[in-house]
Amino acid sequence: MSEKPKKELTKSQILSKKITDEYLDEAFRAKEEGRIVCYTTAISPVEILVAHDIIPIYPENHSVANLAAKKGAQMCSYVEGMGYSSHLCAYARCDLAYRATGFTVTRGIPEPDMFLACNAQCFTLTKWFQVLSRRGGGLPLFVFDTPQYIRDGKAREEIIKYCVLQLKELIALIETVTKRKFDYDRLREVIKYSREASLLYRKFLDMAAHIPSPISIFDALIGMAITVYRRGTPQCVEYYRTLCEETQEKVDKGIGVLPKEKEKFRLYWENLPIWFKFSDHAKLLGSYGGVILTSLYVHAWSFEFDLDKDPLYTLSENYVSRFSNVTLEDRVDMALDLFKRYSLNGMLMFMNRSCKAVSFAVPTLKEILTKKTGIPALVFESDMGDQRFYSEAQIRTRIEAYFETLERLGLARKAA
Amino acid sequence: MWEKMSYEEILECAVDPYPSIREWKKRTGKRVLGTTFADVPEEVIWAFDILPTTIMGTTKPLKKAQALLPDNACSLARSNLELVLSYETDLFDGFVLPQVCDTTQHLSDIWRLNVKGKYFESYLAPRQTDRESAKYWVRKEIERLIDSLSAFTGKRIDESDLKRSVDLHNENKRLLKEIYDFKRNNPSSLSNRVFFSLVKLSQQVAKDELNETIRRVKESLKDGTKDGYIDVILAGITCEPMEIYDLFDEIKLNVVADNLLIGSRYLAGEVDPGEDLLDRLAARHFKRGFFSPIHGNVFGEFEELRRLYRENGAKAIIYIHIEFCESQEYDLPDLKKMMKREGIPMHVVETEYQTTSLSHLRTRLQAFFESIKGT
Ligand code: SF4
Ligand code: SF4
Repeated sequence: MSEKPKKELTKSQILSKKITDEYLDEAFRAKEEGRIVCYTTAISPVEILVAHDIIPIYPENHSVANLAAKKGAQMCSYVEGMGYSSHLCAYARCDLAYRATGFTVTRGIPEPDMFLACNAQCFTLTKWFQVLSRRGGGLPLFVFDTPQYIRDGKAREEIIKYCVLQLKELIALIETVTKRKFDYDRLREVIKYSREASLLYRKFLDMAAHIPSPISIFDALIGMAITVYRRGTPQCVEYYRTLCEETQEKVDKGIGVLPKEKEKFRLYWENLPIWFKFSDHAKLLGSYGGVILTSLYVHAWSFEFDLDKDPLYTLSENYVSRFSNVTLEDRVDMALDLFKRYSLNGMLMFMNRSCKAVSFAVPTLKEILTKKTGIPALVFESDMGDQRFYSEAQIRTRIEAYFETLERLGLARKAA
Repeated sequence: MWEKMSYEEILECAVDPYPSIREWKKRTGKRVLGTTFADVPEEVIWAFDILPTTIMGTTKPLKKAQALLPDNACSLARSNLELVLSYETDLFDGFVLPQVCDTTQHLSDIWRLNVKGKYFESYLAPRQTDRESAKYWVRKEIERLIDSLSAFTGKRIDESDLKRSVDLHNENKRLLKEIYDFKRNNPSSLSNRVFFSLVKLSQQVAKDELNETIRRVKESLKDGTKDGYIDVILAGITCEPMEIYDLFDEIKLNVVADNLLIGSRYLAGEVDPGEDLLDRLAARHFKRGFFSPIHGNVFGEFEELRRLYRENGAKAIIYIHIEFCESQEYDLPDLKKMMKREGIPMHVVETEYQTTSLSHLRTRLQAFFESIKGT
């Protein structure tokens, strides 16, 4: 039997692998080198840790690897036997299963010395980290509390002040843990790298505005990984520069995920992805001329740090204003901006059982978005990682029916 | 109205206080603001001559909430939303809403966008509590709430308005604590159901009137007995439906201490006397067990429950779990383990506002207490 020829890796893919390997090697060496490993949330002011030479580890990312490898149901049911219920976040369940069994499809992640949870994302991570902290006998857990960024200028100023105060407390804590003085100049440098990488990352995401789009959300999700765990480093900047160049080349050549004449449905996706259906979904949608271009989730890492501002201030401003921590009215505005800029003509609204923080707003969000855009939405419920809550047949039928509706309403893009 | 309630009226009102609140509103011409559990300083709202009412779910059927909150949201959140969308649409003049967990993260937005034309304010209590910044923040939030209520009512309050309100609320808590002390030793004279109904009502109706009833209840208490009763500690957030207390009464369980929000965590919220009331209100936030389960320090909860269990010579702990409350669910497996290791019997009661089966609960509770007697 002849083997399928291996697709040659692109420059950015080679770079991504190199950065990831180096990062994990460094993380696993941390203990020998007397460095601190801090578990943190995907959205958290990690620049402070990076500036202080602390290794940030993201248990969420590790869970993604296991969920994408379709190990969700197996790992989740294991922790149910430990007393954790089936409707908790699949990232947390998967991680707790890893702690209990050591099972993972990757090389695993090093054990933590401390935790930093930022609740701009959700409260689950705080609760999950509390479990891990107890498991470690009471390891330090710093909660960076980001009150909802409500629409009130004066309140926002106060919220930022409160956040800045907390970042100072975080710095005091890591100074105590490491017995080293914090270096603010180094922090400025790290934020500079973060800013540069974020702008490039955003530029990459925004290339989805081209018709045909050179990237789909699946490319965005793969491309997102490096900024999630390596922002604040020059390697991260280099990666996004390369990725932007490669994607620009596709734009210049008119190469789309789907050929221009076949790109009928340019779709918005609400929520996190269904990790174990990643490529299947891309193929399925593609067969109908559909391509998901973007979501607020992938944009959560396009920060806009302002180097002229106090570093703690600009960090606070950015982290407190993520889509998951603003009011629904602001979230609607953020989504509408994407609809406009990317010429979207459809929306898939995923109610993710795992992620209550993001999902519970979806029905209300859908009502407003459909009213404001005139585009109907497909709402469906499943789980981002636990296959037991996924029904293939049902989702296929509904997607098919949805595209028919869009066609009928004359919303499909006409072939050029 | 609330000042002369019989036991029966107390029980009835605690299940559905809203008709009487409507009547009060009509009679006094004053406003009512709804809040949900979360350390909202009720004294501040009352100082504006507004009735603060903690909305605590309903056991009535869900109609509209299902379309807005999926079935893996806790029934407290779902039934609270139902209550304002279907059952008490016109009662509240507005809401002061918190965010304490993933379920409530966007709940204030969902309420605001689906309940039109009312006053809405978020109360952003800190979700970290062991650092100086939290103290700073609580005070700032109280000040912001005062400014917001001033803008809503067109009225300013001074220290004396606030003091009057604080005194009234403190008195309420003192009276309830005195009754709790009595009940602990005389369970045959005062049922769990009546006592916890009074605590619940205290968070919902006007205390200047209710305190009269509580006083009368207190004065009417006659020494009873503890014979045949089993002393237990009640743990959790809230214990609903209220008929669960009837079950406790029926099988002669005497709740001698608790860490419920509709219980000791509320009663511990007396504001200390001294200068600068705002500072003291802020200090109170850190004095009592936090309303928000995000702080779930299981080591702390375990130690607290163990202390209550030992000091009161209780026979068991009953933990009330609200189904789908993820905050409790991250804590429970470890809490159970710690209790087991310590040899403290703990029974977890699963509750749901719409579907709790009392007969099933009774069987399980009876079996649990039979097994304890056997040990
Ligand atoms: S998926 Fe949702 S609940 Fe889970 S960690 Fe991420 S934001 Fe939190
Ligand atoms: S803390 Fe638990 S009971 Fe309270 S609203 Fe959140 S999920 Fe529901």
